Amino acid sequence: MIIAYHRPKTLDEALALLARSEPETLPLGGGTVLSRPGPGRYAVVDLQELGLNQIEARGGRLEIGAAATLQQMYAHAGVPAGLRQPIRRETTYNLRQTASVAGALVTADARSPFATAMLALDAVLVWDTGEETTLEVFYAQPERRKKRLILRVAIPEGVSCGYEAVAKTPADVPLVCGAVGSWPGGRQRIAIGGIGGAPFVLREKTGAEAWGSFDALIDEKLINAHSQLSEHINLQSNYFKSTILILVQRLTAGQAVE
Amino acid sequence: MDIILTINGMQKNWEIAPSDTLLAVLRREGFFGAKFGGCQQGECGACAVLVDGRPVNSCSILAAQVSGHVIETIEGIGQHPEQGWKKTGGLHPIQLAFVESGAVQCGYCTPAMVLAAKSLLEHEPNPSEEQVREALSGVLCRCTGYLKPVQAVLRAAAYLRGEIVPPVSERIEAPEGLFGDNQSGDFSPEGGMPGNASTMTRIMPQISLTPQTESWRQVGKPEIKVDAVKLVQGKPAFTADMEMRGMLIAKVLHSPLAHARIKHIDVSKALALKGVAAVLTYKDLPRVVYSTAGQSDPIPGPLDSFSLDSKVRFVGDRVAFVAAESEEIAYQALQLIEVEYEELPSIIDPADAPKPGAVRIHDEPEYVNFADSNPEKNLAAELRIDIGDVEKGFREADFIFEGDYEVPKVQQAHIEPHVVITYWDSDDRLVIRTSTQVPFHTRRVLAPVLGLPMKRIRVIKPRIGGGFGGKQEILMEDVAAHLTIATGRPVIYEYTREEEFIAARSRHPMRVHLKTGVKRDGTITANEMYALSDTGAYGCHALTVTGNTGHKSMALYVGDGPYRESPNIRFYADVVYTNTPPSGAFRGYGVPQGYWPLERHIEKIARDLNLDPLEFRLKNALRSGEYHPFSKSWSEGREPRPEIIHTVGLEQCVQQGKATAGWDQKYNNAEWRIVPGKPNLRRGIGVAMVMQGTAIPYLDMGGASIKMNDDGSFNLLVGATDLGTGSDTVLGQMAAEVLGVPLEDMLVYSSDTDFTPFDKGAYASSTTYISGTAAVLAAQKVAERIRVRAAKMLNARGDGPEVTPDDIDLADRKASAPDGRSVTMSEVGHDSLHHSDQEQIMGVASYVSPSSPPPFAAQFAEVTVDIETGQVTVEKLVMAVDGGVIVNPVLASGQIEGGMTQALGYAVCEEMRYDEQGLALERDLVDYHIFRADEMPELETLFIETFEPTHPFGVKAVAEIPMDGVAPAVGNAILDACGAQVDVNPTTPERVWAALKSGNRSGFTRKIEQ
Repeated sequence: MIIAYHRPKTLDEALALLARSEPETLPLGGGTVLSRPGPGRYAVVDLQELGLNQIEARGGRLEIGAAATLQQMYAHAGVPAGLRQPIRRETTYNLRQTASVAGALVTADARSPFATAMLALDAVLVWDTGEETTLEVFYAQPERRKKRLILRVAIPEGVSCGYEAVAKTPADVPLVCGAVGSWPGGRQRIAIGGIGGAPFVLREKTGAEAWGSFDALIDEKLINAHSQLSEHINLQSNYFKSTILILVQRLTAGQAVE
Repeated sequence: MDIILTINGMQKNWEIAPSDTLLAVLRREGFFGAKFGGCQQGECGACAVLVDGRPVNSCSILAAQVSGHVIETIEGIGQHPEQGWKKTGGLHPIQLAFVESGAVQCGYCTPAMVLAAKSLLEHEPNPSEEQVREALSGVLCRCTGYLKPVQAVLRAAAYLRGEIVPPVSERIEAPEGLFGDNQSGDFSPEGGMPGNASTMTRIMPQISLTPQTESWRQVGKPEIKVDAVKLVQGKPAFTADMEMRGMLIAKVLHSPLAHARIKHIDVSKALALKGVAAVLTYKDLPRVVYSTAGQSDPIPGPLDSFSLDSKVRFVGDRVAFVAAESEEIAYQALQLIEVEYEELPSIIDPADAPKPGAVRIHDEPEYVNFADSNPEKNLAAELRIDIGDVEKGFREADFIFEGDYEVPKVQQAHIEPHVVITYWDSDDRLVIRTSTQVPFHTRRVLAPVLGLPMKRIRVIKPRIGGGFGGKQEILMEDVAAHLTIATGRPVIYEYTREEEFIAARSRHPMRVHLKTGVKRDGTITANEMYALSDTGAYGCHALTVTGNTGHKSMALYVGDGPYRESPNIRFYADVVYTNTPPSGAFRGYGVPQGYWPLERHIEKIARDLNLDPLEFRLKNALRSGEYHPFSKSWSEGREPRPEIIHTVGLEQCVQQGKATAGWDQKYNNAEWRIVPGKPNLRRGIGVAMVMQGTAIPYLDMGGASIKMNDDGSFNLLVGATDLGTGSDTVLGQMAAEVLGVPLEDMLVYSSDTDFTPFDKGAYASSTTYISGTAAVLAAQKVAERIRVRAAKMLNARGDGPEVTPDDIDLADRKASAPDGRSVTMSEVGHDSLHHSDQEQIMGVASYVSPSSPPPFAAQFAEVTVDIETGQVTVEKLVMAVDGGVIVNPVLASGQIEGGMTQALGYAVCEEMRYDEQGLALERDLVDYHIFRADEMPELETLFIETFEPTHPFGVKAVAEIPMDGVAPAVGNAILDACGAQVDVNPTTPERVWAALKSGNRSGFTRKIEQ
């Protein structure tokens, strides 16, 4: 339960609040998750007056303020066109108006279209310390939510995004989804969502490389993911494997055929 | 903490808690237009308001976050145009368009939709349909299928652009030749751009009229729903939309185990918590066995439930009740209740229930059997229906086809959760204000449970935010009532969405085996169905739902030739208890469970024998003048009585439906199946024919009373329960037709056990037919008195020849003589109450029908299948319905569109699953997806009117039949597209993929050629 609400006007003030050990204090972006009733007693620090909702190109990257909403990002001209579909499928139209980009990434589960696509784009989280963490590393850290404050999320400029998903209906949470980031130099990176605790990077290659076989790679991922299969997923592993292979083929426009 | 909020232009300081959501604050302050949909992740959107012009779910944002921002709620959008001397701007154009277009059904999500539309139109005055669908996609609607809300927004956009908008009532008939090439139904506005959907999207459905309707002025017209203006303004019309001083919040401790005895329960810590007013366990309440099913007396099922018991039978079963000063305290109290359980073996798979040695779920001595229920075998009901000589029919067949099928447990998912408020009134009578489909059954059933005489209970049904059968249950009224009795205070109990999934009712899942004998020429000689039906932990509706599975589906195909005279049909079923949440009533009431197997099976047979699937079906289908084959054998657990079916419009439904669907061009067409440039996609088209029922003969009773007022208006009081369907409106239309007045002169009220006549409630597709006949009969009594008085008044004038009451015609608010002289209704009403031979002109009537005339329909579905992943996209649904005369085409088509959409979920995505411990895997509307506005297929409704002679206006029903055919039509379309035989519903990508990999192309488990 939220026992105190703060709306600091400076970053320093916010960081000081977040640094407290008592009460536990959490950053509040859109509030779509923290406003839910839940266990524990904690304070929240609303980021809305810290200027963290800007989206701008800087240093070859598109930097998205942590408190920018999914809808802001969806509508931003600098966002790769292929990223719009996963943003749109992340949550409902109304929730996109308030859900923050950083909040969506931090709370994402394996079925998140947005997180899968951002993983494929090798998104980076920029912390208040100046430290940067790739989303891939972040998802590999079990304690990922214990960090301090994310200021921005950055994706490289000029990278295109492809997205494919299989779902029971067009707007349902995907059973399996995949995204590919394609850099101008030929680098490509495929991420898969739907199994395990979070989306994962299936493979990355440089322009000179061929994709090679995905068969063993998918088997390995499925075995690793099996122990943490979401309760929502009750699909057979052979269906997963087949579908991931199909999505990979589509994402790579037929380059990956094995 | 204090915050400043600007709501609807008014700035005010508010004192809030840091954890308060905006929704909580708004509702606390009387902004009841923002609704609580029970969800905890903001997935339903019924609570949406505008924050700085954007639609925001007020349940998913803290009130503190919006301090300093501009908030708009529905209360600030528009007003009723007539408020006495005060001039108002009237409804906002968006509200007006929603009202006119039939976009308001239950009205629970309407304020959120109106606000979403306002946000869109303020920055995009000429939106595309796609943009409208996107804007509405944040708000879930379970009633409309979204078509009419989309049309309403497009219409509103035209209003706001200053365009002339044509009336909704422009009717498009469906004569020979049908609808030409203009399949979309759009027509271009004068001076408008072709293809720009905007204002000209057709709202009236395509309709083939009966000649009897030509002279009618009210019946058959798209009158505005009588409650639409109130609902579109977000007025406090629903159960929870009221505040009472001292009202307590109720919460229930639910069982974490599937099957256990409570060895010890200690509530002392919970009771000691400040703010807790009462904690009740089984030790505190009288042990009264009852059934929660909302059905007429005697309940046709076992009595196997208690308000609280020392045993729990599913995860989610009740353990204790708490009433507290706040929700937060109530939840804390639940955590302080200490329970020691003795865990028992549990049954999750229904196939395990009847096995020897299986644990007995109901071992309570108070258990009351009904018919063939047998708790020793975990059997809630057993059905054994034999019609004709089935074995002889099989011997006479050239082929025997057998197949196995499965249908899932699914949730009604009405957006308004179950909710009740109870309180003692000043006469010490217990008032139960509840969102129910069955107020009179609720009063009758609860009286012994609460230890109160029935006359000391009053049940009020306000507006209902959808029910779909889920509220044909006395599900949770007892919780609040017990707590009011314990504390003497008002109590509100409102389900969360999770409780809807773990502790409400749902559709019976079934495993079905079909065996069909067919001659080479396609004559069905015998048809046999066995269903294993899972009623969950309690037997509410067990017998009747499952009985209807056979009664309505297996009755459709009687065979041809001599078999038509004497059909051979068998329906056997075992309805078993399991340790899962109870099943119950859900729109369709067992019939969709029958049509998935039947219509998949029939399709397979047609293809196997190389028969035209439409001709094969029609050759064997029931025809008018024939007996309902089950009417001599079964009637919901009561004495069966033979019944002739007078009207069957199935052939016309097929003809018109297939033309609209483009069947002849698409079915079995290899070229059409291919999607250019998409080698992984295949198109397919499928069909299903279905029939339902209209009421339960000799049982369902509805009453109505009508009184005339001084001004010539009438109060129509009905016990019938409008749960968003528009039944108040169509009952009003029928009465208005008889009385010769416009609908606006009928003041319709439903329902209150103190003030309105008895009605069995809203179920079994009975209201228009049964309650409607009662309204007509009551109106006829009133009309007769009006004629008597009018004749007397005209004769007293002495300005023309003498007239008798029989000469008087009622129309246009007048009682007219043949020579044109007339008195107005107002004059008659005024005279009757004030001037001469004063009397209250009033009529009371009730009706029980000896008939249950089935509606019929042909359902078509078009799909695209991804043959690599199994993903199915439903592109178009066309339903041609014979529902008799359609009283209100716009409201009726809304029923069909909404029903098809609900059935679409049943077809492709909705499914409630449990793990081995009986824990529900789906607990919200994220994991249990229901269709949104931006992913809908094209919907087309055709009404093929027949005149049902057993009703004064020739009506049958339309409410439930749209649930029946979509799933099998989609399954058959998948088969047409790619050859996949999917026999387990819903047709998820994995199941389609597995079917494609399977070698069984015929889909039969056995085929014998004799």
